[in-house]
Amino acid sequence: MIDILGFLVSWLTLLGIYSILALSLNFESGVSGVTNFGKVLFYGVGAYVAAALSTYLLLAIYGIDTSETPPYDIKGIIALGHLSTRNPLVNLGLFALTLILAFLVAGALGYLLTYPILRVGPAFVGFTLLSSGELMRIFLQHYTPLGASKGLMAIPNPFAWVPVPRLREALFLAVVLSLLALVYLVLNRLVNSPFGRALKAVRDDEIAALCLGKHVPRIKATVLFIGSGFSGVAGALLAYYLTAVNPDMFVPAVTFNVWAMIILGGLGNLKGSLVGAAVFTLLDRLLTFVTPQIGLTVVSPDYIRWFAVGLLIVVLIIARPQGLLPEEPVKTPALEEALRAAGESSG
Amino acid sequence: MPERGVVGLIGPNGSGKTTLFNVVTGFYTPDKGEVLYRGENGVERIHGLNPNEVFAKGIVRTFQIPRLFRSLTVLENLLVTPQGQSGENPFLSLSKRRWENQERELARRALSLLKRFGLLNYANKKVSELSAAHMKLVETIRGLMTPAKLYLLDEPAAGVEAAAAHELFRLVRELRETEGLTFFIVEHRIEILTKYVDYVYVLHNGRLLAEGKPEEVVSNPKVIEAYIG
Amino acid sequence: MLPGYPYSILNSLQYFLFYLLFSVPLTLSYRTSKVLNFSHSNFIAYGMYTAIFLHGLAGNQSFLVAAIAAFLAGGSIALLNHLAVFRPLEQRRASPAFVMIASMGLWIMYNYLLYMLADVAHAFTMKNFISYGRIDYADIPDLRILDFTVDHSLLASLASATAFGTALYLLLMKTSLGRAMRAVADNPALAEISGIPREKVLRFTWFLCGGAAAVGGVLWTSFSGTITPASADAMILQVFAVSFIGGLVSLSRTILGALAISLAENVGIAALNTFFGIPTSFRPFITFVTLLTVLIVSPPLGAAGGLPYRFRRKVGGGR
Repeated sequence: MIDILGFLVSWLTLLGIYSILALSLNFESGVSGVTNFGKVLFYGVGAYVAAALSTYLLLAIYGIDTSETPPYDIKGIIALGHLSTRNPLVNLGLFALTLILAFLVAGALGYLLTYPILRVGPAFVGFTLLSSGELMRIFLQHYTPLGASKGLMAIPNPFAWVPVPRLREALFLAVVLSLLALVYLVLNRLVNSPFGRALKAVRDDEIAALCLGKHVPRIKATVLFIGSGFSGVAGALLAYYLTAVNPDMFVPAVTFNVWAMIILGGLGNLKGSLVGAAVFTLLDRLLTFVTPQIGLTVVSPDYIRWFAVGLLIVVLIIARPQGLLPEEPVKTPALEEALRAAGESSG
Repeated sequence: MPERGVVGLIGPNGSGKTTLFNVVTGFYTPDKGEVLYRGENGVERIHGLNPNEVFAKGIVRTFQIPRLFRSLTVLENLLVTPQGQSGENPFLSLSKRRWENQERELARRALSLLKRFGLLNYANKKVSELSAAHMKLVETIRGLMTPAKLYLLDEPAAGVEAAAAHELFRLVRELRETEGLTFFIVEHRIEILTKYVDYVYVLHNGRLLAEGKPEEVVSNPKVIEAYIG
Repeated sequence: MLPGYPYSILNSLQYFLFYLLFSVPLTLSYRTSKVLNFSHSNFIAYGMYTAIFLHGLAGNQSFLVAAIAAFLAGGSIALLNHLAVFRPLEQRRASPAFVMIASMGLWIMYNYLLYMLADVAHAFTMKNFISYGRIDYADIPDLRILDFTVDHSLLASLASATAFGTALYLLLMKTSLGRAMRAVADNPALAEISGIPREKVLRFTWFLCGGAAAVGGVLWTSFSGTITPASADAMILQVFAVSFIGGLVSLSRTILGALAISLAENVGIAALNTFFGIPTSFRPFITFVTLLTVLIVSPPLGAAGGLPYRFRRKVGGGR
């Protein structure tokens, strides 16, 4: 029996999380020209902030000494499992708190990283961001308080206290989609304003923007703050959704996946990122579902999936780099004025 | 640089003309010497300022190959220029109410500027669709969106036909009269430059070789030698 | 006494030679084509696996044969990438970021293709190609200095690196092809006008770079105890770091970078391990810190050299 509802809920939740990532990357790289090859770094930071804080705090709130029973220990995991179903308010409170902190920590990291990056050229920026993700992963693999290579488990889902699993998933999905809507609204507002216009100017010609009075370094830092902050939120949501995190979840391939989404959807077009995320997550879910059925034994299906992602990226860039949806002009009242004037002069 | 003057800067290739512009506009810091500018607050030392701060003091610069924002329309290119737009603050931009009036005002001003220079039909066109001459025009007039008084033009006649180049220079003189602007122009096509400037400086190997009225400078044997030798 | 002596010194030398063969081609390829090729590690990986497949499937024991085959394989991949991807993108005047992304896509493709090939080979021979052991090549002689046996890999690396270095030097300095390569790299406009066939130069350069890196991969198979399709990727941080120290354009600085990184990674990590108890798997951090230090202290020209202007943090004006 094919569980369509289950498939839909799992796809849409993943879609929601990846859409936030895609929107943030498009905002950074598509609109503002801050090419971010280290998306997974902020994603992972957000996930671990949420995981660590929620597990440690949950134990602490109920008076358990985390130095004796840490959350990555089997006893801690069992305790967490019990405690996360007790008090709805505690779960929801922790959820909200960690989400905000994930935003702030990831955002601050993004902001800080711009300053050393400004001293070096664009090629190095890409490389630095790419490596930072890997460095973080190596660090996490050895850092015992965060679970080392096993990671953290039994993260208290905000709706863990709901007795019906389907309802629990649906509620979480609702939260994810609301946050997605919020992120979309905020980014849409930012892009369709003089600030958005300044971002595109910086993207098109940084030196000219500088000559016209734009404080380019501060603009880039702001962009990375916002984009990284939202990526952190996406990471936190992932942590709660899977109720577990470990370092191997945050590999460079994740960054490429998001890049593929925004290229497919169209750089500079926020709606396009949603489309790109939808297509990729759907393909991913379908392939996960279908390949075991085909029963490929010679070659692991994972390999084929990732190969397809790489191939798609290359083909897209060569054949249709502008993606599906074109970039739209900055929608401000100025546009209305201009159209009106154009109408007058030709009429 | 005399206020309301139109001054030329010439010199053979590599003499340092663009470098001078870069120093004035804050891309390079001078090892020795100073850059003094008389702005609203009297005479200030502006060397060591960043390019965006130099712009804030009222100095506009154009480039040999026009640096416009290619994915934006002509109107948007003009709208990027004014300073102090509250909509450019990331927090304030979230609430349309805080900046829409200013935006409309600026748009009207930009549109009337475009109309004045015959570019109104291009307002909503992407900059990539403009001819080279029009691009240079846009690059120059966008400064008019600000109270800037000093314009540094880098080879305005480069890459355009003579007729368009003459148009541009005529515009420069017109703007000097109507807006009270000061122009400092680097140019290679001396035969065009000399018709429109009051005064000329000649640079050679990074040093001032000669200066004076255009006719004098052009017939100065040292200058001729610098160009041929 | 130096920490980890004598192994850390020997390892430094060994890694220095590896980085020469891995990173100098990267610098050379960027310098000439201005493409930042993130799939560079594939050349190395495919070099490794050419040797492995020849050994595991065909029983090859000759280093020379493996090296030649790997050179051809790596070179062909590089050439294919250029013809199928980089050249069309250049003709379309794609932005450098797009080219970088395309090269990342290629990286993923080649990576997983290699995994698939390993799986297929496994299906045919029941041997494990996903994790392969060190290869002992029969044609590398045993050398004893005093009562110290020189590792086969060290010997082969010395020979290969010297051969490569000499050949490259002679090529670039003494031949017209080499001069053409340098012209295309340093002054493309002038090269164009002088009638230098840029496309031919590019094709040759890519083939050379891919091939050389692949030979480095073969050397790796004689050094490392466990080789997987991800082995090349595990070193990519270092390989790029070395090239970045050279600003991606200076070959001599790349060589210095190779020395700096190999010393930092081997002697440095040994020191940190001995005195601070830092685990050796933290090597990448040392690399990164070394790279950052070099870039701040002595910024190179070229792609890694910074923005065309220096933005001053404090408000200037008045001295």
